[in-house]
Formats: sequence, C-alpha cells, structure tokens
Amino acid sequence: MTTAHCPLPTKNLFQVGVGSGGMVVLDLLARDPSVSRVSLVEPDDYRPHNVERHLFPRSGVGRLKADLAAEWLKDRRPELEVEVLAVDLTDPAHQGAIEAAVARCDIGVCAVDNEPAKYHFDRLFRAANKPWTLGEVLSGGIGGWVHRFAPGEACYGCVASHLQREAPGDPEAPAPDYSNPGGAVRETTVPATRTSIHAIAALHAVATLDLLAGRDSGFTSALFALRTVDGVFDRAFSPYRFRIPRSASCLICSAGPPASGEDLDAALDQALARLGHD
Amino acid sequence: MGLLDTETGKRRLLTVEIPVIEKYNNGRDPEFRIKLARVGGTLVMTYQLKPVHNIYRLETRLLSSYPTVPPETRVITHLKHCPHLLEGQTLCMWRQGSTRLTSRWDPSRFTSVFAVQAAWRWLACYEIWHETGDWPLPEAK
Repeated sequence: MTTAHCPLPTKNLFQVGVGSGGMVVLDLLARDPSVSRVSLVEPDDYRPHNVERHLFPRSGVGRLKADLAAEWLKDRRPELEVEVLAVDLTDPAHQGAIEAAVARCDIGVCAVDNEPAKYHFDRLFRAANKPWTLGEVLSGGIGGWVHRFAPGEACYGCVASHLQREAPGDPEAPAPDYSNPGGAVRETTVPATRTSIHAIAALHAVATLDLLAGRDSGFTSALFALRTVDGVFDRAFSPYRFRIPRSASCLICSAGPPASGEDLDAALDQALARLGHD
Repeated sequence: MGLLDTETGKRRLLTVEIPVIEKYNNGRDPEFRIKLARVGGTLVMTYQLKPVHNIYRLETRLLSSYPTVPPETRVITHLKHCPHLLEGQTLCMWRQGSTRLTSRWDPSRFTSVFAVQAAWRWLACYEIWHETGDWPLPEAK
C-alpha cells in the first residue's frame, strides 16, 4: 500500500504591511502548505476608512492591523506560527528584532507604499542575502507592478532608477501653486479600487511562491495594465516584463570598503571636521 | 534609514557624498566651497553660488532619510517672490513622476553635489526671470 506524500511545511515568511493589498497577499501565501511561519511588521491601527477596501471586519476598527492579521491567519491555519512586530520597519529602536526575523525567514514580502520603507526593506534583505518581492498598485488602480529581488541581482535602487526612465507609470501630478507657497498640496494619487488591489496582490503572491520555489519567472519587474489610459496604457490586460540588470554605478548597492562601526564613526568625524572649517 | 546613525548611512557619506563634495571643493575659491555641519540627525551643507551676476548664500539639508528623500535646498540671501519658490525660500527642484530626468530625485544616481548644481541652474533661471519676467525652463511635467 502506498500513501500520498505531502511535504512538511517549512518555509518562513517575513512580511511588512498588511494594508488592503498586503493582507490579500498574506492571506494567499499563508494558505500555501509550504509555509510554516510568518513574521509580520505593521505598526498601524485599523481605521474606519480602511473598512471599504480591507478584508478585516468593521468590528476590528481601533485595533492593530498586525493583531487582526495574526487572528485571521490562525483562524484559517491554527498550526501556523505567527510572530507580530507592531512597529515601524525603519524605527532604529527595533532594528535588532527586525534583523533577527529577517535572518530566520526564507523570503520577504514588501507591501508598503512609501519609498523610505522600500529602500530600508531592500537594505535589510541585501544584508541578509535573502530574496524578496514587492507589489505596487498604480494610482487609480489602472494597473500595478510586481518586482522580484534575488541576492546579488538588481537592488530596489537599480530597479526604481531603471523603471523611471523606461516604463510607464502614474498619471501626471498637478503643478504646484507657486502663488501660494505654504498652501495645501492637491492630492496627486487617486485611491485604487478593491478589484485592482486584489488583482495585483494575487499576482504578487504568485510571483512570491515562484521565487520561493526557486523558479525563474524571467523578469525582475512585471507591469500589468488593468485599464486603457491615454498616454499610459494603450490596452487593458496587457503585461510588460522587464529583466533589469544590477547597475555597476548604482549608489545604493555598490558597496564601499568594509569597515567596523567604530572605524566608520572615526572616519566620519574626521571628514566632518575637515569640511567644517573655513 | 538614519544618515548619521546607521552603518548604511555613514557608508553612503564616506564612500559617496564626502568624496564628491571634496572633489567639488578642490581648487575652488574658499568662499565658494561647501562646508558641512552636523545638526542633530541632519547634515547641513552651506555654500555660495554665483550663477551670473550675483552671489547667493544657500543651505542644503540632507535629512535623516536622505538619500531616499531628496535634499532640501533654500536660499538664505533674500529673493523676490518668483515661480518655483516655496515657503522659507526653499527651491522647488524635484518632482516625483516628472518626465524630465533631472527633475526627479534618483537616490541611485544623484549625490548632494547634484543638488548644488541643480540650485545653480535654478538661480541662473531666477536671474533671467528677474530681468525678463520669463522663467527660461518649461514647467517640469
């Protein structure tokens, strides 16, 4: 008699961001039988305005998104180990715990929408020599990006710099009002619809499982047009794939000579003293 | 990332920013060299520029989140109110999503000296605007 062989779940996932898109990615990934452990980084509370686009119920308003996400996962997979870090990814006070969680993981999932956090995530995963993925929904939900980062390949700086020059992006932002320099700045992004967020999040999850399984999807970044938009996308439901090489001149990932923390401090003090005098 | 309190930030300063500032200063008259000072978690560059006729004193701040976020440059010398000038005489130089390459801050390619050169270009435009009423570069799109 033979028995069906199921591989033991052994993969550890590290995810930052469980907003309306990040939670969909996490839900899809954590249901995969290969995943045994999840570390979550998310400092925000669940707010009334989140309800419209989020998986969490209205009754969760006022609680930490990270706690709600952990409960969501345990409800569906009670055996899953879930570690919650309800902190800002870039907060210097929590870097020890964050770096330890990154060291334990097999793959990272970045689901944040601000540039400093993306660059910080990139730095953490390059230092740990671990793969990671990033999903981005374009303003108005007209499409979105999925990026795959593998150790030794293009960093987020290489990719962002390349794509700003080569690929379509968000529609134009309005010009600033110079006659009113201190005035309010008009909103330059349009919220995405729930359907667009879920579509890109699902693709982000597929790309993550692919990378986790060691498969080469043949792209560093993939852009999916969900709607036709003049000057941006000619056709809806069109994929664009980009294989982006690591840039030798990238100022983010071209590492300087190794030095200990003390050496860096002394060298920096000397340089500032040199450049601080008339 | 903290520019002055993380290894990544310090390494960026020592291997990228400080060498290009020293190269910029090399052979330049002392009053036009960039000077650096640490102010809390911010690095402040002070310098003078003479784009055409006048000399302007400027300050460029590399915030704790630099280079992810662009440097902030303001002119200390009094200016007439003009286009592309924000509160506190801060220069409007970077626009995320702009189709003009030099108007988008790119932390993987630009250094703080690029910001100084962008300020020089801005001031050259200001002097032309002051004389003619026209800003010589089109609005960044």
